[in-house]
Amino acid sequence: MTLALVETAAKIAFVFGLNIGVFAPLLGWVERKQSAVMQDRIGADRADVFGFTIIGLFHTMSDTIKLIFKEDFIPRGADRIMHTAAPALALIPALVAFTVIPFGGHYTLWGHNVNLVVADLDVGALFVFAISSLAAYGVVLAGWSSNNNWSFLGGLRAAAQMFSYEVAMGLTIIGLVMFYQSLSLVTIVEKQNEFWHWGIIWHWPAFILYFTCAIAENKRIPFDVPEAESELVAGYFTEYSGMKFIMFWMAEFVEVVTISALCVVLFFGGHHLPFVTDAELISGLGGALYPNFANLAAMGIGILTFIVKVIILIFIQMTIRWTLPRFRYDQVMALGWKLVLPASLIWIFIVGVGILSGIMPRP
Amino acid sequence: MATKIKKIRRNVTLTLWEQSYVPEILRGMYITLEHFFINLWGLILEFAWSGREDRKIATVYYPEESVTPPPAYRGRPVLVLGADGNEKCVACGLCEAACPPQCISIIGAERANGERYPLRYTLDGTRCIFCGRCEEACPKEAIVMSDDWRNLCEYDRSKMIYEKADLLVPEEKLAGRLAFIRDKAFGKDRY
Ligand code: SF4
Ligand code: SF4
Repeated sequence: MTLALVETAAKIAFVFGLNIGVFAPLLGWVERKQSAVMQDRIGADRADVFGFTIIGLFHTMSDTIKLIFKEDFIPRGADRIMHTAAPALALIPALVAFTVIPFGGHYTLWGHNVNLVVADLDVGALFVFAISSLAAYGVVLAGWSSNNNWSFLGGLRAAAQMFSYEVAMGLTIIGLVMFYQSLSLVTIVEKQNEFWHWGIIWHWPAFILYFTCAIAENKRIPFDVPEAESELVAGYFTEYSGMKFIMFWMAEFVEVVTISALCVVLFFGGHHLPFVTDAELISGLGGALYPNFANLAAMGIGILTFIVKVIILIFIQMTIRWTLPRFRYDQVMALGWKLVLPASLIWIFIVGVGILSGIMPRP
Repeated sequence: MATKIKKIRRNVTLTLWEQSYVPEILRGMYITLEHFFINLWGLILEFAWSGREDRKIATVYYPEESVTPPPAYRGRPVLVLGADGNEKCVACGLCEAACPPQCISIIGAERANGERYPLRYTLDGTRCIFCGRCEEACPKEAIVMSDDWRNLCEYDRSKMIYEKADLLVPEEKLAGRLAFIRDKAFGKDRY
């Protein structure tokens, strides 16, 4: 019992540490530096400690310190309670969605079975969608409670966009669920043990559709109409400053990580190395002689593989963000309803036909 | 100069290939990633040894580094100090009349040999819009736009009223701009 508690606490600490401690600040830096190098610039590199700049990493720290000490401003006429609650409502769902994402497999360590997921839910995939749609409340409330026209318009746009893409996003993975016959993300990862069962092999159209929807859901360029700087100042977080502003910012980055992690789990085999199954990995590491060590090493390799895959997908998201211009608002909606939604329905049909006719062998 | 004409497709209906966005997005990403990796490689080389030529980065580390503007650049207008130690201006007042925001005011006087010269020449830097009309109007090439863009800001507006002493710049320092306006006014690229 205690062991299980310790294990869960360690997993929660790992997930939160990875998201809040490593990815969120690092992504702030990556976003600056990657965009700079892409656009033939250098990017922020002036903040230094004793003359060391470590390629601009201190800017993230100095930014955080600056924002912590900034005045926490609530505009006159704003709904104080909602205005304060909204950033938390945006950030928490993004973090909670990560609890059902398996970042490793099953390992036996000293007779104790370790399953590297915080909560092994049978409906993990549904849970992610349910929770991430809660994030819409944070955004809408932020826009409404600020008592500002820009914020309000941003909030409205965000609401419409998030709800319409949620429909399509849910539908894009139905084909995958039919294929793996499970809603549990842990089971889906287990079934991708062999490389030829990875989701991307058969379901690459679903991946493109899902990725599009996920970026739209996260309101990043090219779908960043709710915060369109050139039209709406900063959209729904125009009136935010200090730590609350950071929370929106972190919510966005945590969501980038969550999207990547979910894509890895659904389409890229989770923690599995390509062409090496878990059993092969453990026996290859000497599982017969010292099983505990082999399991531990396999666990390390699994987590590392998962993180590397997530980082690659984050890189792709960042590249998209700095490559494409923003869609017009009606184009965003048209794309969602007229292209992505019918396409995902057609894809469900194709997968159904494929499975029934035996072209797509189910793992 | 030969004019290059580039055909641009406008109002075309997109082909199905383009409508599916994905290939075009990939093409765009290829371009940005190409820049990214070339520059990344150049940055790594720069870490190892000075290899700035290996990347296309355009950043200038102002204030440690600085750019020299091309002669066509219109910076702070200055008065030309001739080789004989006198200003070239003859206080004709044409620049005063040409200046759109009327920031120039001149009090003319006459030297013992009958030459006219500006006793006071005041240019109000708070009003100047760097249009270059004064330079165009001047018959004596006595006022030109320099490449000085650095010392234009002050905390006190009264410091921005330039007197003649602040405006005089030796002729040789302005050689590039003088050659440029001669070419512009009398060369084949004149307007
Ligand atoms: S540049 Fe234009 S505004 Fe400035 S002094 Fe000359 S004529 Fe006047
Ligand atoms: S136009 Fe030239 S010569 Fe005439 S007053 Fe102005 S600077 Fe002097």
